[in-house]
Amino acid sequence: MKHESGPDITNKLHYDTKKRFLTVLAVGSVALLVIFVFSLTQGHYVMTFMEALDSLCGVITSCFTGEEWDTGEMVIYHLRMPRSISVILVGMGLAAAGTAMQAMIRNPLVDPYITGVSSGASFGVILVTLSGLFAFSALTIPVAAAIGAIAAFALTITMSEMVGGRAMAYVLSGTIIAAGLSAASTLVITFNSADYQSIMYWLFGTFAYQTWDNVYVMLCVLIPCFFVVIIAAKRLNMMLLGDENAQYLGLNTRQFKRLMMTIIAIITAMSVAYCGVIGFIGLIVPHLTRMLVGGDHRVLFPASMLVGAIVLLVADIFCKSVGTAGELPIGAIVSVVGIPFFFALLIKEGKHYVM
Amino acid sequence: MSCESPMLELEGVQFGYTKAFINLRGINLSADKGKFIALMGPNGCGKTTLMRCVNCLLKIQEGSIDIEGEDVLAMTRKQVAKVCTTVPAEMPVEFSLLLKDFVSLGRAPISSGIWWDSDEDQKAIEDIMRAFGLLKYQDRRLSQLSSGERARALVAKGVVQEPKVMMVDEPSAHLDIKYKVQVMELLKEQAKNGITVIMASHDLNLVTRYCDEAMMIKDGVIYSYGDPNEIINEQSIKDVFGIDVTVVNVGGINYVVPRPPSESDSIRDPDSYRGERTWSPGGRS
Repeated sequence: MKHESGPDITNKLHYDTKKRFLTVLAVGSVALLVIFVFSLTQGHYVMTFMEALDSLCGVITSCFTGEEWDTGEMVIYHLRMPRSISVILVGMGLAAAGTAMQAMIRNPLVDPYITGVSSGASFGVILVTLSGLFAFSALTIPVAAAIGAIAAFALTITMSEMVGGRAMAYVLSGTIIAAGLSAASTLVITFNSADYQSIMYWLFGTFAYQTWDNVYVMLCVLIPCFFVVIIAAKRLNMMLLGDENAQYLGLNTRQFKRLMMTIIAIITAMSVAYCGVIGFIGLIVPHLTRMLVGGDHRVLFPASMLVGAIVLLVADIFCKSVGTAGELPIGAIVSVVGIPFFFALLIKEGKHYVM
Repeated sequence: MSCESPMLELEGVQFGYTKAFINLRGINLSADKGKFIALMGPNGCGKTTLMRCVNCLLKIQEGSIDIEGEDVLAMTRKQVAKVCTTVPAEMPVEFSLLLKDFVSLGRAPISSGIWWDSDEDQKAIEDIMRAFGLLKYQDRRLSQLSSGERARALVAKGVVQEPKVMMVDEPSAHLDIKYKVQVMELLKEQAKNGITVIMASHDLNLVTRYCDEAMMIKDGVIYSYGDPNEIINEQSIKDVFGIDVTVVNVGGINYVVPRPPSESDSIRDPDSYRGERTWSPGGRS
């Protein structure tokens, strides 16, 4: 092989997956931590960054020393920490769900929103809150969201596989199901117009009313889900090659798909249940991160989860601090801020990034 | 020889996607270790279907498939992947996988690590990428590779899987003559190293030049099976592909030269060429 010779010959495998993983983890965590503390400074009661950091440390150390809290610590603990932590969890969740979904369906166009999962979850929530048919408890809403999400996703997948399972089939049937469910939601809302305002506010996505109870439920559900998704990174890499090729590599794709779909639906349902429908994070963040760190899910997953959390946290800070009368809807902010940024990166990296 | 069971043995394999339509019937094949065997026949004759049967992607309705004397049908998907792999004709270039990540995926069924590639995996990947001249491109995204590099990468991924049987689906389809020869040399080398290579190919001249054995399939049944230089002749091409050719012999190897269509009227008469079927197995995206 004559053309192989030359001075620039590389004779070693640069196995740097581990290094890339650790770099992503280190840089991402530090960035996330800084933005997290910054997010704690924002609100009606104004603090500086150092004050917020100080209060946060105070809250943490008081767990061990049992010290009394001052006002800053009270505000941080009761008002701002639950909000910021749920923003982080939802950002991570939507990004992870989008990344997993894009790999599984091998379609860069899909996210929980497009495949009807978000609509299913929100329909479930609207149905139980407005119809008055169900007894109410703390878990009613997340459970309803999860059932709606899983049902909608199962329907999308079944329909698209029935018509041949091509990439476009998933987008089409997902869009149709999402449209149908949104229409059904609209009808349910119309018949219960008394609660219209609060429901619409939730539908556009908001983190305004988070409590520690919500955070605990989210933590309990999402952490195991994240764990499963991250462990599945290598299998998702195989799925990128297509169902048939994944099977050649020894993967039971049918079983794996079912597992991943359930996990994705549950993650999406959690964020919809507590924070409303937030589009774009699940679609844009995986792309953005893939352009930055490449397609290996072992690096891509932690990276996109961190980026998802950071993006959503920044958007939430913006919502908290800019809105004069009330808050801005975070879903809209994410789209408005995200799109130009995404395009800039696409123009720069797009040549190497085949979609 | 007879005391040892052959590497891959098919007996009376029958498969149909539907009950009414039998795609493969009575396929027998006995391939020894290190043999390079070609499957030939018109599009839709059942070559790819046969490969999918051997890999247990499709469940055969009659017959048996053994690899080293072990029944493949009784194995789990992972067990099959440890003894047998398929090298597809194309790779997905979306999603920005790097070449090295792509090749390393081949280790998945045999790797000891759940998440990271072990040192042993890395060594195997490095050795094979070096042998295939791919190390230079290791940090490129798949979309940035040329067809020739992709074809080699696909074979490399199959080889790092350390299979006993490797099925290769039309590896030379989009390649220029230089890369065709390069890929054939690579496959031949793998066969020499002890992998039984089964290749579906339309390139008859490469088959006669490189393969140890060849099987001609027509409408799902074996038309002929044996030494490629014996079974590829003017009559068999006429029977299987429905066209007239001239076969010339250069240095003991048969080469197929198509005759101009004016001499072979059958091309204009669709009924005489029944190889191409409109029906397709579906699921290909």
